[in-house]
Amino acid sequence: MGVNVEVAAEGRGRLVKTRDEAFEALFKSEYARVAGIANRVLADPQEAEDVAQEVFISFHRLHSASAQFAPAWLHRAAAHTALNRVRGRKRRERRELAQAAEEGSSTLDPQRMLEVGEDRRLVRAALARLAPKPAAVLVLRASGLSYAEVAQAIGVGTGQIGTLLRRAEAALRKEVTRGTSI
Amino acid sequence: MDCAACQARNKGMADDARAAATLLSAPELKLDVATAFKRVQTAPAAKPRFGFSLPVMRPSTRPMFAGLGAAAIVVALALTAFANILPLFQPKTVQPVPVSFADLQSLQSLSAYGTLTWSTKPQLQVVLSAADAKAVSGLDVPVIKLPKGVSSTVTYAAMPKAVAVFTFDAKKAADAAATTGKPLPKLPSGIDGAKLTVTVGPAVVEVFGDMNATSGGNSNSQNINLPQLIVAKSAVPVVTSTQVTAKQLEDYILSMPGVTPQLAAAIRSIGDPATTLPIPVPVEYASSSKVSINGDPGVALGDNTGLGAGVIWIHKTNVFVVAGSLKQSVVVDIARNLK
Repeated sequence: MGVNVEVAAEGRGRLVKTRDEAFEALFKSEYARVAGIANRVLADPQEAEDVAQEVFISFHRLHSASAQFAPAWLHRAAAHTALNRVRGRKRRERRELAQAAEEGSSTLDPQRMLEVGEDRRLVRAALARLAPKPAAVLVLRASGLSYAEVAQAIGVGTGQIGTLLRRAEAALRKEVTRGTSI
Repeated sequence: MDCAACQARNKGMADDARAAATLLSAPELKLDVATAFKRVQTAPAAKPRFGFSLPVMRPSTRPMFAGLGAAAIVVALALTAFANILPLFQPKTVQPVPVSFADLQSLQSLSAYGTLTWSTKPQLQVVLSAADAKAVSGLDVPVIKLPKGVSSTVTYAAMPKAVAVFTFDAKKAADAAATTGKPLPKLPSGIDGAKLTVTVGPAVVEVFGDMNATSGGNSNSQNINLPQLIVAKSAVPVVTSTQVTAKQLEDYILSMPGVTPQLAAAIRSIGDPATTLPIPVPVEYASSSKVSINGDPGVALGDNTGLGAGVIWIHKTNVFVVAGSLKQSVVVDIARNLK
Protein backbone atom coordinates (compact mmCIF):
# COMPACT_ATOMS: atom_id res chain seq x y z
CA MET A 1 0.00 0.00 0.00
CA GLY A 2 2.74 2.41 0.93
CA VAL A 3 4.25 1.68 -2.41
CA ASN A 4 1.18 2.62 -4.37
CA VAL A 5 0.54 5.74 -2.35
CA GLU A 6 4.03 7.07 -2.93
CA VAL A 7 4.08 6.35 -6.62
CA ALA A 8 0.79 8.18 -6.92
CA ALA A 9 2.17 11.16 -5.01
CA GLU A 10 5.30 11.39 -7.19
CA GLY A 11 3.28 11.56 -10.37
CA ARG A 12 0.75 13.95 -8.98
CA GLY A 13 2.37 17.26 -9.95
CA ARG A 14 2.73 16.27 -13.57
CA LEU A 15 -0.72 14.73 -13.78
CA VAL A 16 -2.44 17.73 -12.26
CA LYS A 17 -0.86 19.95 -14.88
CA THR A 18 -2.00 17.83 -17.78
CA ARG A 19 -5.40 17.46 -16.13
CA ASP A 20 -5.77 21.23 -15.99
CA GLU A 21 -4.70 21.61 -19.59
CA ALA A 22 -7.10 18.93 -20.70
CA PHE A 23 -9.88 20.57 -18.70
CA GLU A 24 -9.25 23.96 -20.26
CA ALA A 25 -9.38 22.45 -23.75
CA LEU A 26 -12.61 20.63 -22.90
CA PHE A 27 -14.11 23.79 -21.44
CA LYS A 28 -13.30 25.84 -24.52
CA SER A 29 -14.67 23.28 -26.94
CA GLU A 30 -17.85 22.43 -25.03
CA TYR A 31 -18.85 25.50 -23.02
CA ALA A 32 -21.01 27.07 -25.72
CA ARG A 33 -22.89 23.84 -26.28
CA VAL A 34 -23.37 23.12 -22.57
CA ALA A 35 -24.62 26.67 -21.94
CA GLY A 36 -26.82 26.35 -25.04
CA ILE A 37 -28.47 23.22 -23.68
CA ALA A 38 -29.13 24.89 -20.34
CA ASN A 39 -30.49 27.97 -22.11
CA ARG A 40 -32.80 25.79 -24.18
CA VAL A 41 -34.33 24.50 -20.95
CA LEU A 42 -34.30 27.67 -18.90
CA ALA A 43 -34.83 30.32 -21.59
CA ASP A 44 -32.68 32.52 -19.38
CA PRO A 45 -29.13 33.19 -20.64
CA GLN A 46 -27.74 34.26 -17.27
CA GLU A 47 -29.10 31.29 -15.36
CA ALA A 48 -28.00 29.04 -18.22
CA GLU A 49 -24.41 30.19 -17.76
CA ASP A 50 -24.66 29.54 -14.01
CA VAL A 51 -25.78 26.00 -14.75
CA ALA A 52 -23.07 25.47 -17.38
CA GLN A 53 -20.35 26.56 -14.98
CA GLU A 54 -21.74 24.43 -12.19
CA VAL A 55 -21.76 21.43 -14.52
CA PHE A 56 -18.11 21.97 -15.49
CA ILE A 57 -17.09 22.36 -11.86
CA SER A 58 -18.79 19.09 -10.93
CA PHE A 59 -17.21 17.36 -13.87
CA HIS A 60 -13.73 18.62 -13.09
CA ARG A 61 -13.99 17.50 -9.53
CA LEU A 62 -15.06 13.99 -10.39
CA HIS A 63 -13.60 13.05 -13.74
CA SER A 64 -10.66 13.36 -16.04
CA ALA A 65 -11.22 15.79 -18.90
CA SER A 66 -9.52 13.39 -21.27
CA ALA A 67 -12.19 10.75 -20.62
CA GLN A 68 -13.99 9.66 -23.74
CA PHE A 69 -17.38 10.17 -22.19
CA ALA A 70 -16.66 13.80 -21.19
CA PRO A 71 -18.85 15.60 -23.79
CA ALA A 72 -21.74 13.16 -23.34
CA TRP A 73 -21.52 13.54 -19.55
CA LEU A 74 -21.55 17.33 -19.81
CA HIS A 75 -24.52 17.38 -22.20
CA ARG A 76 -26.59 15.11 -20.01
CA ALA A 77 -25.63 16.94 -16.84
CA ALA A 78 -26.51 20.31 -18.43
CA ALA A 79 -29.97 19.07 -19.44
CA HIS A 80 -30.69 17.45 -16.07
CA THR A 81 -29.33 20.27 -13.93
CA ALA A 82 -31.31 22.84 -15.89
CA LEU A 83 -34.48 20.72 -15.77
CA ASN A 84 -34.03 20.35 -12.01
CA ARG A 85 -33.86 24.11 -11.69
CA VAL A 86 -37.11 24.45 -13.57
CA ARG A 87 -38.67 21.79 -11.35
CA GLY A 88 -37.49 23.78 -8.34
CA ARG A 89 -39.60 26.64 -9.60
CA LYS A 90 -42.58 24.33 -9.85
CA ARG A 91 -44.67 25.85 -7.13
CA ARG A 92 -44.41 29.31 -8.58
CA GLU A 93 -45.16 27.96 -12.02
CA ARG A 94 -48.25 26.21 -10.73
CA ARG A 95 -49.62 29.51 -9.53
CA GLU A 96 -48.86 31.03 -12.90
CA LEU A 97 -50.58 28.16 -14.66
CA ALA A 98 -53.68 28.68 -12.59
CA GLN A 99 -53.64 32.36 -13.49
CA ALA A 100 -53.17 31.58 -17.16
CA ALA A 101 -56.12 29.23 -17.01
CA GLU A 102 -58.28 31.96 -15.53
CA GLU A 103 -57.30 34.22 -18.36
CA GLY A 104 -58.68 31.58 -20.70
CA SER A 105 -55.71 30.53 -22.82
CA SER A 106 -57.11 27.15 -23.71
CA THR A 107 -55.81 26.28 -27.15
CA LEU A 108 -52.36 25.45 -28.37
CA ASP A 109 -50.98 27.68 -31.05
CA PRO A 110 -47.19 27.67 -30.85
CA GLN A 111 -46.84 30.94 -32.73
CA ARG A 112 -49.30 32.76 -30.53
CA MET A 113 -47.79 31.29 -27.40
CA LEU A 114 -44.46 32.84 -28.21
CA GLU A 115 -46.06 36.18 -28.66
CA VAL A 116 -46.89 36.13 -25.00
CA GLY A 117 -43.58 36.40 -23.12
CA GLU A 118 -44.92 34.63 -20.05
CA ASP A 119 -45.81 31.56 -22.10
CA ARG A 120 -42.18 30.73 -22.67
CA ARG A 121 -41.97 29.92 -19.00
CA LEU A 122 -45.14 27.85 -19.13
CA VAL A 123 -43.54 25.78 -21.86
CA ARG A 124 -40.53 25.23 -19.60
CA ALA A 125 -42.80 24.14 -16.80
CA ALA A 126 -44.45 21.65 -19.16
CA LEU A 127 -41.04 20.40 -20.23
CA ALA A 128 -40.05 19.85 -16.62
CA ARG A 129 -43.19 17.78 -16.06
CA LEU A 130 -42.14 15.28 -18.74
CA ALA A 131 -40.22 12.19 -17.65
CA PRO A 132 -36.46 12.92 -17.47
CA LYS A 133 -35.48 10.93 -20.55
CA PRO A 134 -37.93 12.39 -23.09
CA ALA A 135 -37.29 15.87 -21.68
CA ALA A 136 -33.53 15.41 -22.13
CA VAL A 137 -33.95 14.03 -25.66
CA LEU A 138 -36.03 17.04 -26.70
CA VAL A 139 -33.69 19.58 -25.20
CA LEU A 140 -30.50 18.00 -26.51
CA ARG A 141 -31.86 17.61 -30.02
CA ALA A 142 -33.25 21.16 -30.02
CA SER A 143 -29.77 22.35 -28.97
CA GLY A 144 -28.31 21.02 -32.19
CA LEU A 145 -26.85 17.70 -31.05
CA SER A 146 -26.83 14.89 -33.61
CA TYR A 147 -28.84 11.71 -33.05
CA ALA A 148 -25.58 9.95 -32.14
CA GLU A 149 -24.64 12.63 -29.61
CA VAL A 150 -28.09 12.59 -28.03
CA ALA A 151 -27.90 8.79 -27.82
CA GLN A 152 -24.52 8.93 -26.09
CA ALA A 153 -25.66 11.57 -23.64
CA ILE A 154 -28.69 9.64 -22.47
CA GLY A 155 -27.12 6.21 -22.78
CA VAL A 156 -29.31 4.53 -25.41
CA GLY A 157 -28.67 3.23 -28.91
CA THR A 158 -28.72 5.75 -31.77
CA GLY A 159 -31.48 3.72 -33.42
CA GLN A 160 -33.87 4.51 -30.58
CA ILE A 161 -33.54 8.28 -30.81
CA GLY A 162 -36.01 8.80 -33.67
CA THR A 163 -38.81 7.05 -31.81
CA LEU A 164 -37.93 8.64 -28.48
CA LEU A 165 -37.89 12.05 -30.09
CA ARG A 166 -41.28 11.65 -31.78
CA ARG A 167 -42.87 10.45 -28.59
CA ALA A 168 -41.28 13.27 -26.63
CA GLU A 169 -42.48 15.88 -29.10
CA ALA A 170 -46.02 14.55 -28.87
CA ALA A 171 -45.78 14.41 -25.08
CA LEU A 172 -44.56 18.00 -24.85
CA ARG A 173 -47.33 19.26 -27.08
CA LYS A 174 -49.89 17.40 -25.04
CA GLU A 175 -48.40 18.61 -21.77
CA VAL A 176 -48.43 22.23 -22.91
CA THR A 177 -52.05 21.91 -24.02
CA ARG A 178 -52.99 20.25 -20.75
CA GLY A 179 -51.07 22.80 -18.71
CA THR A 180 -52.74 25.74 -20.36
CA SER A 181 -56.27 24.33 -20.33
CA ILE A 182 -56.51 23.32 -16.67
CA MET B 1 -47.70 4.93 -46.48
CA ASP B 2 -50.57 6.23 -48.59
CA CYS B 3 -53.38 5.04 -46.33
CA ALA B 4 -55.40 7.77 -44.71
CA ALA B 5 -54.45 6.65 -41.21
CA CYS B 6 -50.74 6.70 -42.06
CA GLN B 7 -51.01 10.13 -43.60
CA ALA B 8 -52.80 11.43 -40.56
CA ARG B 9 -50.16 9.92 -38.31
CA ASN B 10 -47.34 11.41 -40.35
CA LYS B 11 -48.98 14.80 -40.33
CA GLY B 12 -49.46 14.52 -36.56
CA MET B 13 -45.78 13.73 -36.08
CA ALA B 14 -44.70 16.59 -38.31
CA ASP B 15 -46.98 18.97 -36.40
CA ASP B 16 -45.54 17.74 -33.10
CA ALA B 17 -42.00 18.29 -34.35
CA ARG B 18 -42.78 21.81 -35.56
CA ALA B 19 -44.59 22.64 -32.34
CA ALA B 20 -41.70 21.34 -30.22
CA ALA B 21 -39.15 23.32 -32.23
CA THR B 22 -41.19 26.49 -31.89
CA LEU B 23 -42.01 25.93 -28.25
CA LEU B 24 -38.39 25.29 -27.35
CA SER B 25 -37.01 28.42 -28.94
CA ALA B 26 -34.77 30.27 -26.53
CA PRO B 27 -33.39 33.78 -26.17
CA GLU B 28 -30.02 34.37 -27.81
CA LEU B 29 -26.97 33.47 -25.77
CA LYS B 30 -23.96 35.78 -25.89
CA LEU B 31 -21.01 34.04 -24.31
CA ASP B 32 -17.61 35.18 -23.12
CA VAL B 33 -15.87 31.83 -22.81
CA ALA B 34 -12.60 33.20 -21.38
CA THR B 35 -14.36 35.03 -18.54
CA ALA B 36 -16.54 32.01 -17.86
CA PHE B 37 -13.46 29.80 -17.66
CA LYS B 38 -11.80 32.15 -15.17
CA ARG B 39 -14.90 32.04 -13.01
CA VAL B 40 -14.93 28.25 -13.03
CA GLN B 41 -11.22 28.09 -12.27
CA THR B 42 -11.51 30.31 -9.24
CA ALA B 43 -14.53 28.50 -7.83
CA PRO B 44 -13.38 26.80 -4.64
CA ALA B 45 -15.06 23.54 -5.59
CA ALA B 46 -13.20 23.31 -8.88
CA LYS B 47 -10.06 21.83 -7.43
CA PRO B 48 -9.38 18.66 -9.33
CA ARG B 49 -9.42 15.45 -7.44
CA PHE B 50 -6.88 12.82 -8.24
CA GLY B 51 -8.52 10.23 -10.42
CA PHE B 52 -11.90 8.95 -9.37
CA SER B 53 -12.92 9.33 -5.79
CA LEU B 54 -16.01 7.92 -4.23
CA PRO B 55 -17.75 10.45 -2.04
CA VAL B 56 -17.77 7.95 0.79
CA MET B 57 -14.02 8.36 1.04
CA ARG B 58 -14.09 12.11 1.32
CA PRO B 59 -13.72 13.68 4.71
CA SER B 60 -17.24 13.77 5.96
CA THR B 61 -18.69 15.93 8.65
CA ARG B 62 -21.11 13.17 9.41
CA PRO B 63 -19.24 10.95 11.83
CA MET B 64 -21.77 8.18 11.48
CA PHE B 65 -20.28 7.43 8.10
CA ALA B 66 -16.76 7.24 9.45
CA GLY B 67 -17.06 3.52 10.07
CA LEU B 68 -18.31 2.83 6.58
CA GLY B 69 -15.63 5.05 5.08
CA ALA B 70 -12.96 3.32 7.08
CA ALA B 71 -14.25 -0.06 6.01
CA ALA B 72 -14.23 1.00 2.36
CA ILE B 73 -10.67 2.28 2.59
CA VAL B 74 -9.55 -0.85 4.32
CA VAL B 75 -11.15 -3.05 1.68
CA ALA B 76 -9.31 -1.06 -0.98
CA LEU B 77 -6.09 -1.53 0.94
CA ALA B 78 -6.78 -5.22 1.24
CA LEU B 79 -7.09 -5.51 -2.49
CA THR B 80 -3.86 -3.64 -3.15
CA ALA B 81 -1.54 -3.78 -0.17
CA PHE B 82 -1.99 -7.32 0.94
CA ALA B 83 -2.11 -8.54 -2.59
CA ASN B 84 1.16 -6.78 -3.27
CA ILE B 85 3.09 -8.71 -0.72
CA LEU B 86 1.92 -12.26 -1.18
CA PRO B 87 3.45 -14.09 -4.10
CA LEU B 88 1.68 -16.70 -6.16
CA PHE B 89 -1.45 -15.40 -4.67
CA GLN B 90 -4.87 -16.08 -6.09
CA PRO B 91 -7.36 -15.88 -3.28
CA LYS B 92 -10.28 -18.24 -3.18
CA THR B 93 -11.74 -17.13 0.11
CA VAL B 94 -11.77 -14.21 2.51
CA GLN B 95 -10.88 -13.92 6.18
CA PRO B 96 -11.25 -10.99 8.58
CA VAL B 97 -8.14 -9.67 10.34
CA PRO B 98 -8.69 -7.12 13.10
CA VAL B 99 -6.21 -4.25 12.69
CA SER B 100 -5.70 -0.74 13.99
CA PHE B 101 -4.75 2.11 11.68
CA ALA B 102 -1.37 2.17 13.39
CA ASP B 103 -0.88 -1.40 12.17
CA LEU B 104 -1.65 -0.40 8.62
CA GLN B 105 0.65 2.59 8.72
CA SER B 106 3.51 0.46 9.96
CA LEU B 107 3.42 -1.50 6.71
CA GLN B 108 4.14 1.56 4.60
CA SER B 109 7.87 1.18 5.00
CA LEU B 110 7.62 -1.59 2.43
CA SER B 111 8.18 1.05 -0.24
CA ALA B 112 11.75 1.36 0.98
CA TYR B 113 12.51 -2.14 -0.27
CA GLY B 114 12.22 -1.68 -3.96
CA THR B 115 10.51 0.07 -6.81
CA LEU B 116 7.02 -0.23 -8.16
CA THR B 117 6.18 0.38 -11.78
CA TRP B 118 2.90 -0.09 -13.58
CA SER B 119 3.14 -2.04 -16.77
CA THR B 120 -0.57 -1.34 -17.26
CA LYS B 121 -1.76 1.64 -15.27
CA PRO B 122 -5.05 1.48 -13.39
CA GLN B 123 -7.59 3.63 -15.20
CA LEU B 124 -10.85 3.80 -13.36
CA GLN B 125 -13.43 5.53 -15.54
CA VAL B 126 -16.88 6.73 -14.76
CA VAL B 127 -19.13 5.51 -17.54
CA LEU B 128 -22.70 6.21 -18.51
CA SER B 129 -24.28 2.79 -18.60
CA ALA B 130 -23.90 -0.82 -17.55
CA ALA B 131 -23.14 -1.66 -21.19
CA ASP B 132 -20.26 0.83 -21.22
CA ALA B 133 -19.01 -0.58 -17.91
CA LYS B 134 -18.98 -4.02 -19.48
CA ALA B 135 -17.22 -2.72 -22.57
CA VAL B 136 -14.46 -1.19 -20.44
CA SER B 137 -14.00 -4.07 -18.00
CA GLY B 138 -15.22 -7.12 -19.86
CA LEU B 139 -17.19 -8.06 -16.72
CA ASP B 140 -20.95 -8.56 -16.55
CA VAL B 141 -22.31 -5.85 -14.30
CA PRO B 142 -24.15 -7.36 -11.31
CA VAL B 143 -27.91 -6.88 -11.41
CA ILE B 144 -29.20 -5.73 -8.06
CA LYS B 145 -32.56 -6.06 -6.40
CA LEU B 146 -32.75 -2.69 -4.70
CA PRO B 147 -34.39 -2.52 -1.29
CA LYS B 148 -37.04 0.12 -0.66
CA GLY B 149 -35.62 3.53 0.09
CA VAL B 150 -32.49 3.19 -2.02
CA SER B 151 -32.41 5.58 -4.95
CA SER B 152 -32.31 3.88 -8.34
CA THR B 153 -30.06 6.67 -9.64
CA VAL B 154 -26.92 4.79 -10.47
CA THR B 155 -23.39 5.78 -11.44
CA TYR B 156 -21.18 3.19 -13.09
CA ALA B 157 -17.42 3.02 -12.92
CA ALA B 158 -15.24 0.48 -14.61
CA MET B 159 -11.57 -0.34 -14.82
CA PRO B 160 -9.67 -2.60 -17.18
CA LYS B 161 -7.01 -4.89 -15.78
CA ALA B 162 -4.03 -3.11 -14.21
CA VAL B 163 -0.62 -4.70 -13.78
CA ALA B 164 2.09 -3.53 -11.41
CA VAL B 165 5.59 -4.89 -11.03
CA PHE B 166 7.40 -4.54 -7.72
CA THR B 167 11.13 -5.21 -7.77
CA PHE B 168 12.97 -5.84 -4.51
CA ASP B 169 16.17 -3.85 -4.19
CA ALA B 170 18.45 -4.71 -1.28
CA LYS B 171 20.63 -1.62 -1.77
CA LYS B 172 17.67 0.71 -1.70
CA ALA B 173 16.47 -0.97 1.46
CA ALA B 174 19.84 -0.55 3.13
CA ASP B 175 19.99 3.14 2.11
CA ALA B 176 16.50 3.78 3.41
CA ALA B 177 17.35 2.11 6.67
CA ALA B 178 20.46 4.28 6.97
CA THR B 179 18.65 7.59 6.37
CA THR B 180 15.72 6.94 8.67
CA GLY B 181 17.94 5.60 11.40
CA LYS B 182 15.35 2.96 12.10
CA PRO B 183 16.56 -0.60 12.02
CA LEU B 184 14.72 -2.44 9.27
CA PRO B 185 14.86 -6.19 9.12
CA LYS B 186 17.31 -7.58 6.61
CA LEU B 187 15.87 -8.91 3.37
CA PRO B 188 15.81 -12.69 3.16
CA SER B 189 18.73 -14.02 1.13
CA GLY B 190 18.05 -14.41 -2.56
CA ILE B 191 15.24 -11.88 -2.52
CA ASP B 192 17.28 -9.04 -4.06
CA GLY B 193 16.03 -8.44 -7.60
CA ALA B 194 12.96 -10.62 -7.12
CA LYS B 195 9.95 -9.35 -9.02
CA LEU B 196 6.35 -9.49 -7.91
CA THR B 197 3.80 -9.02 -10.65
CA VAL B 198 0.48 -7.85 -9.29
CA THR B 199 -2.62 -7.96 -11.43
CA VAL B 200 -5.60 -6.00 -10.17
CA GLY B 201 -9.00 -5.97 -11.83
CA PRO B 202 -10.73 -5.65 -14.19
CA ALA B 203 -13.45 -4.22 -12.00
CA VAL B 204 -16.87 -2.62 -12.16
CA VAL B 205 -18.49 -0.46 -9.51
CA GLU B 206 -22.13 0.61 -9.23
CA VAL B 207 -22.89 3.52 -6.94
CA PHE B 208 -26.54 4.07 -6.07
CA GLY B 209 -27.78 7.39 -4.77
CA ASP B 210 -28.33 10.76 -6.34
CA MET B 211 -24.93 12.21 -5.52
CA ASN B 212 -25.53 15.44 -7.33
CA ALA B 213 -28.96 15.93 -5.83
CA THR B 214 -29.47 19.52 -4.87
CA SER B 215 -31.44 20.98 -2.06
CA GLY B 216 -34.10 23.46 -3.02
CA GLY B 217 -34.01 25.30 -6.30
CA ASN B 218 -30.45 26.48 -5.90
CA SER B 219 -27.98 23.76 -6.52
CA ASN B 220 -24.69 23.86 -4.76
CA SER B 221 -21.85 21.80 -6.10
CA GLN B 222 -20.38 21.36 -2.65
CA ASN B 223 -23.49 19.69 -1.41
CA ILE B 224 -22.92 16.12 -2.49
CA ASN B 225 -24.97 13.38 -0.97
CA LEU B 226 -23.33 10.19 0.11
CA PRO B 227 -24.10 7.10 -1.90
CA GLN B 228 -26.65 4.80 -0.36
CA LEU B 229 -25.25 1.63 -1.82
CA ILE B 230 -22.05 0.56 -3.54
CA VAL B 231 -21.71 -2.73 -5.36
CA ALA B 232 -18.31 -3.68 -6.73
CA LYS B 233 -17.09 -6.69 -8.62
CA SER B 234 -13.47 -7.30 -9.46
CA ALA B 235 -11.39 -10.18 -10.69
CA VAL B 236 -9.39 -11.45 -7.72
CA PRO B 237 -5.97 -9.86 -7.50
CA VAL B 238 -3.32 -12.24 -8.75
CA VAL B 239 0.30 -12.02 -7.70
CA THR B 240 3.15 -13.95 -9.22
CA SER B 241 6.73 -13.88 -8.11
CA THR B 242 10.09 -14.79 -9.57
CA GLN B 243 12.15 -15.75 -6.54
CA VAL B 244 10.24 -15.63 -3.29
CA THR B 245 7.55 -17.72 -1.67
CA ALA B 246 4.44 -16.57 0.11
CA LYS B 247 5.77 -17.89 3.38
CA GLN B 248 9.11 -16.03 3.06
CA LEU B 249 7.37 -12.74 2.42
CA GLU B 250 4.79 -13.21 5.13
CA ASP B 251 7.52 -13.91 7.66
CA TYR B 252 9.44 -10.92 6.43
CA ILE B 253 6.52 -8.49 6.62
CA LEU B 254 5.62 -9.71 10.06
CA SER B 255 9.15 -9.07 11.26
CA MET B 256 8.96 -5.39 10.33
CA PRO B 257 8.99 -2.91 13.19
CA GLY B 258 5.56 -1.64 14.14
CA VAL B 259 3.69 -4.83 13.42
CA THR B 260 2.08 -5.69 16.72
CA PRO B 261 2.18 -9.27 18.00
CA GLN B 262 -1.62 -9.31 17.84
CA LEU B 263 -1.63 -8.44 14.13
CA ALA B 264 1.13 -10.92 13.40
CA ALA B 265 -0.82 -13.63 15.22
CA ALA B 266 -4.00 -12.74 13.36
CA ILE B 267 -2.30 -12.92 9.97
CA ARG B 268 -0.56 -16.19 10.85
CA SER B 269 -3.88 -17.69 11.91
CA ILE B 270 -5.27 -17.23 8.39
CA GLY B 271 -3.59 -20.38 7.22
CA ASP B 272 -2.52 -20.58 3.61
CA PRO B 273 -1.47 -17.06 2.61
CA ALA B 274 -1.55 -17.96 -1.06
CA THR B 275 -5.28 -18.54 -1.31
CA THR B 276 -6.90 -16.37 1.37
CA LEU B 277 -7.61 -12.68 1.00
CA PRO B 278 -7.23 -11.06 4.41
CA ILE B 279 -9.86 -8.40 5.04
CA PRO B 280 -8.43 -5.94 7.53
CA VAL B 281 -11.16 -4.78 9.90
CA PRO B 282 -10.40 -1.50 11.66
CA VAL B 283 -11.02 -2.32 15.30
CA GLU B 284 -11.74 1.33 16.10
CA TYR B 285 -14.67 1.60 13.72
CA ALA B 286 -16.14 -1.65 12.67
CA SER B 287 -16.87 -5.15 13.74
CA SER B 288 -16.82 -8.19 11.52
CA SER B 289 -18.58 -11.49 11.35
CA LYS B 290 -18.50 -14.42 8.99
CA VAL B 291 -21.45 -14.91 6.69
CA SER B 292 -22.31 -17.28 3.89
CA ILE B 293 -23.29 -15.80 0.53
CA ASN B 294 -24.97 -18.59 -1.38
CA GLY B 295 -22.41 -21.07 -0.18
CA ASP B 296 -19.33 -18.83 -0.47
CA PRO B 297 -17.81 -17.69 2.82
CA GLY B 298 -17.89 -13.93 3.24
CA VAL B 299 -16.96 -11.28 5.77
CA ALA B 300 -19.66 -8.88 6.93
CA LEU B 301 -18.52 -5.55 8.30
CA GLY B 302 -20.30 -2.93 10.32
CA ASP B 303 -23.25 -3.24 12.60
CA ASN B 304 -27.00 -3.55 12.51
CA THR B 305 -27.89 0.04 13.27
CA GLY B 306 -28.35 1.01 9.62
CA LEU B 307 -25.51 3.50 9.73
CA GLY B 308 -23.25 1.49 7.52
CA ALA B 309 -22.49 -2.09 6.64
CA GLY B 310 -20.67 -4.03 4.01
CA VAL B 311 -20.00 -7.57 2.93
CA ILE B 312 -17.12 -8.95 0.89
CA TRP B 313 -16.81 -12.42 -0.59
CA ILE B 314 -15.21 -14.34 -3.40
CA HIS B 315 -17.26 -16.28 -5.91
CA LYS B 316 -15.23 -18.30 -8.39
CA THR B 317 -12.62 -15.83 -9.70
CA ASN B 318 -14.29 -12.59 -8.66
CA VAL B 319 -14.28 -10.55 -5.47
CA PHE B 320 -17.61 -8.89 -4.67
CA VAL B 321 -18.26 -6.02 -2.30
CA VAL B 322 -21.68 -4.72 -1.31
CA ALA B 323 -21.62 -1.78 1.08
CA GLY B 324 -23.96 1.02 1.98
CA SER B 325 -25.59 3.15 4.59
CA LEU B 326 -27.97 0.31 5.32
CA LYS B 327 -28.53 -2.36 7.94
CA GLN B 328 -26.22 -5.31 7.76
CA SER B 329 -29.12 -7.68 7.21
CA VAL B 330 -30.23 -5.62 4.19
CA VAL B 331 -26.71 -5.56 2.74
CA VAL B 332 -26.36 -9.31 3.13
CA ASP B 333 -29.76 -9.78 1.53
CA ILE B 334 -28.71 -7.69 -1.48
CA ALA B 335 -25.50 -9.72 -1.72
CA ARG B 336 -27.42 -12.99 -1.74
CA ASN B 337 -29.75 -11.76 -4.50
CA LEU B 338 -27.06 -10.43 -6.80
CA LYS B 339 -27.48 -11.72 -10.34
